[in-house]
Amino acid sequence: MATLLPAPARRRRTVWRDTAVGWSFILPNFVGFAVLTLVPVLALFYLAFTNWNVFGLAEWTGPANFQRLMHDASFWTALRNTLYYTVFHIPLTMVASLGLALLLNRKLRGVAFFRTVAFFPYIAAIVATAQVWNMLFSPEYGPINHILHFFGFSGNPGWTVSADGSMPAVIIVGTWREMGYYMLIFLAGLQTIPGELYEAARMDGANAWHRFWTVTVPSLRPTTFFVTVMLTIGSFKVFDLILLLTNGGPGQSTLVLSQYIYQKGFQENQFGYASAISIVLFAICFLVTVVQFLVNKRRNA
Amino acid sequence: MDTAVRPAQAETALLLNHRATRRRRLSRTGRIIGYALLVVAALALLLPFYWMVVSSLKTNNEVYTTPIQWVPKTVVWENYLDIWRKSHMVTWLKNTLILSVAVSALQVFTGSFAAYGFAKVRFPGRDLLFLAYIGTIAVPWQSYMIPQFILMSKLHLSNTLWSIIALQAFSAFGVFLMKQYYETIPNDLSEAARMDGMSEYGIWRRIMLPLSMPALASLTLLTFVNTWNDYLGPLLYLRDPSLWTIQIGLRSFINEYNAEYALIMTGSVLSVLPIALIFLVGQRYFIEGIATTGLKG
Amino acid sequence: MKRAITAVLGLGLAASLALTGCSSSDTPETMPTGPVSITLAGWSLSTTPEFKTLADGFHTANPNITVELKEYDASNYDTQMTADLAAGSAPDVYVQKNLKMFYTYQAGGQLLDVSDVAKGLTSSPGGLSGYQVDGKTYAIPYRQDSWVLFYNKALFDKAKVAYPDGSWTWDKYAEVSKSLTAALKTAGSKATGDYQHTWQSTVQGFALAQTPGASLQSGDFSYLKPYYQRALDLQTAGAQPSYGTATTNKLTYQAEFGKQQAAMMPMGTWYIATLLSQQAKGDADAFDWGLAPAPQFDASTTGTSATPVTFGDPTGLGINPKIKKEKVAAAKAFLAYAAGTQGAKSLAAIGITPAASAAVADDFFGLKGMPTDDLSKFAFAKHDTKPENPVSKYTAGLQNVLNDLHSAVLSGSKDVDGAIGDAQKRAKNEVLNS
Repeated sequence: MATLLPAPARRRRTVWRDTAVGWSFILPNFVGFAVLTLVPVLALFYLAFTNWNVFGLAEWTGPANFQRLMHDASFWTALRNTLYYTVFHIPLTMVASLGLALLLNRKLRGVAFFRTVAFFPYIAAIVATAQVWNMLFSPEYGPINHILHFFGFSGNPGWTVSADGSMPAVIIVGTWREMGYYMLIFLAGLQTIPGELYEAARMDGANAWHRFWTVTVPSLRPTTFFVTVMLTIGSFKVFDLILLLTNGGPGQSTLVLSQYIYQKGFQENQFGYASAISIVLFAICFLVTVVQFLVNKRRNA
Repeated sequence: MDTAVRPAQAETALLLNHRATRRRRLSRTGRIIGYALLVVAALALLLPFYWMVVSSLKTNNEVYTTPIQWVPKTVVWENYLDIWRKSHMVTWLKNTLILSVAVSALQVFTGSFAAYGFAKVRFPGRDLLFLAYIGTIAVPWQSYMIPQFILMSKLHLSNTLWSIIALQAFSAFGVFLMKQYYETIPNDLSEAARMDGMSEYGIWRRIMLPLSMPALASLTLLTFVNTWNDYLGPLLYLRDPSLWTIQIGLRSFINEYNAEYALIMTGSVLSVLPIALIFLVGQRYFIEGIATTGLKG
Repeated sequence: MKRAITAVLGLGLAASLALTGCSSSDTPETMPTGPVSITLAGWSLSTTPEFKTLADGFHTANPNITVELKEYDASNYDTQMTADLAAGSAPDVYVQKNLKMFYTYQAGGQLLDVSDVAKGLTSSPGGLSGYQVDGKTYAIPYRQDSWVLFYNKALFDKAKVAYPDGSWTWDKYAEVSKSLTAALKTAGSKATGDYQHTWQSTVQGFALAQTPGASLQSGDFSYLKPYYQRALDLQTAGAQPSYGTATTNKLTYQAEFGKQQAAMMPMGTWYIATLLSQQAKGDADAFDWGLAPAPQFDASTTGTSATPVTFGDPTGLGINPKIKKEKVAAAKAFLAYAAGTQGAKSLAAIGITPAASAAVADDFFGLKGMPTDDLSKFAFAKHDTKPENPVSKYTAGLQNVLNDLHSAVLSGSKDVDGAIGDAQKRAKNEVLNS
């Protein structure tokens, strides 16, 4: 993360001065962040080792919650499903949103309209989104199966109401909903790439494909890093979309960790245990993020 | 990070130049096919919105039927009158607007300010602190929302609009997003300004902010939309009906044994329109960006 | 003290509560002499009149006590209430929406012992036993809905099928549903014979309540098998919309029955009020309908001389232990009012089934649009209603396991035996032994 030029080019400053300046920038945000988010999150780390019932009582139970996790088949199902979702959702959304951004980052008649439309799935009420897709997926009456039949596909995939089809359906809708969101971030990233870089590449005789790989991809790396991290965390935490689309079913075929946490906490009043599952979810996200962080750092070094 | 990111040719490019316009000449037929594809894709993307509009023109018991009625049998315009007459749409819109504007403004200010500290100032513990920021994003909200609620209640913030502002305005999201954009801005610029004796705060305000207009615009839009559509936060914190946002207000059409589905869809359509409008206006920052607002020399 | 209470309390309740006041002298709560206000939780106040009805009625009977309503979200009531109780900002009196969460509140020490109110009631309201733990009562029911069979007389006439007569078992129900579907088809109607909503209750509630020896806590769910086989059979026969169609299209039971898409529908008595208002407003078609007892497990509980077995959870009121001491007596008086005859009558007047339902059947059937036949009255007034969620530490967890079973079986992603086997294994490993 070298942000400083070699020493001679820069007036020498003492470390403490940089620290003071740095903190003065961070502080206005940090105060609010520390009090309102960091404190409750730290409380969570304590509660994960108790049998907290939300109404005050919290006896220290040590690692009992985590031991229980090891033998909880539903937890492993939820973890497996979450990974299933993540593994497909991240690359699909990445490709779709970058593709959209590249497509809409040019002088095009009506580009404002198309950008707005691409963003629409994200702003339309999620209840409506989930419902429309459910209707489209409906096994007997839905247009998707009608189209499949039209193209000679036999059989009647159950999509959101079948054990095998529900997760693919959720992945499709998740990607469809979020691609506009990440498109916007990519779009802003593309805009900050200086045009001179493209000019220079063109003068070197690079074709469009070559320019994409030598200019766009490297210049976009900070944005891509952001999108990757946010997508990873977002996929691991996926909740309301699944709740509305399948409610974790049928059976446990789309049960994900966030939903399991909600079930254990708010429905079964085992907040201590729910906290422990949250810690595991956090640990996985964090681990993946740190790896991405290090990889990103090494690439830039 | 940024100096390394840029390929070798970048060094030769002029820094404060107008950004060159990129024109890609497509053949005429290719262009027509492209547009046709875009229009088809656009229609597909608008499908849920279309369904919302159609549902808002039906009666409650016609909203969910098999097979789907893509065109209502009889059009019920009354829903659009009823929602103003029967509910407190004006109050809800007002509250939602106050929150979205306040949260977006605070998020953009504190986020971009802190991001500068993380991206352009080097001090010990910086990366660790930054990881703590990202770390909290990874904790699912429903697992710490009760401790947070107790805390907010102790601060006497719950059941006021301040609670949502406090909750959303300092999120790690904005810091992270802005930091990543700042890293795409070459250091040579700030270095030159430093040579001229500009303070770090001056560099942030005079150089970083103008150069990151597209990023600021996208952060504003994303924060605005997220606050506008936020549902769980207001559900937990805003109990007094005079404080309700649109999303919470629409929930009040659902009661234990029945729901006014058509009115909910009417309200959803009405709540999407302002954002669509803001987006339509705001997205021009993605075309002009540096060219019009940047440093011209 | 006796004098003070009798002076304040109105009508029939007064005498009984006064006696209670004497007998349990260890609770030195006195009714307030000056104006007092207590807070009450309710949901969707603009469309759910029951809370205001009770609050206003109580205030009329006790002019110096005001009941202030605090609004909650209907579908997230328990999440909001949990947060409020944890933060100490919950109202004085709050509703026990279902028995599943009652255990959480009670075991979490969030409910005041109101045994004295229960003792003072002249008649024991339906569902009271559900709120009793170790001989103490922690909430008082004010409404008790039970599941009955709604049927569309017009569609039965069209199909030329005889109305239900109170003698039906589930096998008979399935048989009639199929012949109704066929006959309606010949008559040119697309309506199905029956509609069973997508909730797990529509199958599991009846199975648990009616099967002799069935118990949730036993972890043995084999009692569900015949009920699921019948439900699957009805789906395959096309006598009801399939689970997949109903969930993906989010079919609402109000539209299925109210718009005459189905000729019969097992549903809770809360639907009566909705149906009446929808027919009056035009949201539902105008047609004659009737109530019949829920179909039974076997012939031993059928017929109008027997008591049909069905299920339903009571809705009750409990008191927040953080209530100010001087308000406790007022809050208890409110609980007694809501569960008593007066409260029951005012609830019946707005189409709600009060816990003391037998006493108000006449008021209820006097409402405009209600059926008037004898079987409807019988179905409304007489039944043995068992709780859907027997109160225990394990209920919430077991119901979650069974909900997964429900969607797996009805969607066809697992066979009945396999799903029951899985559920039993999960219940043992994840709920009963953890």
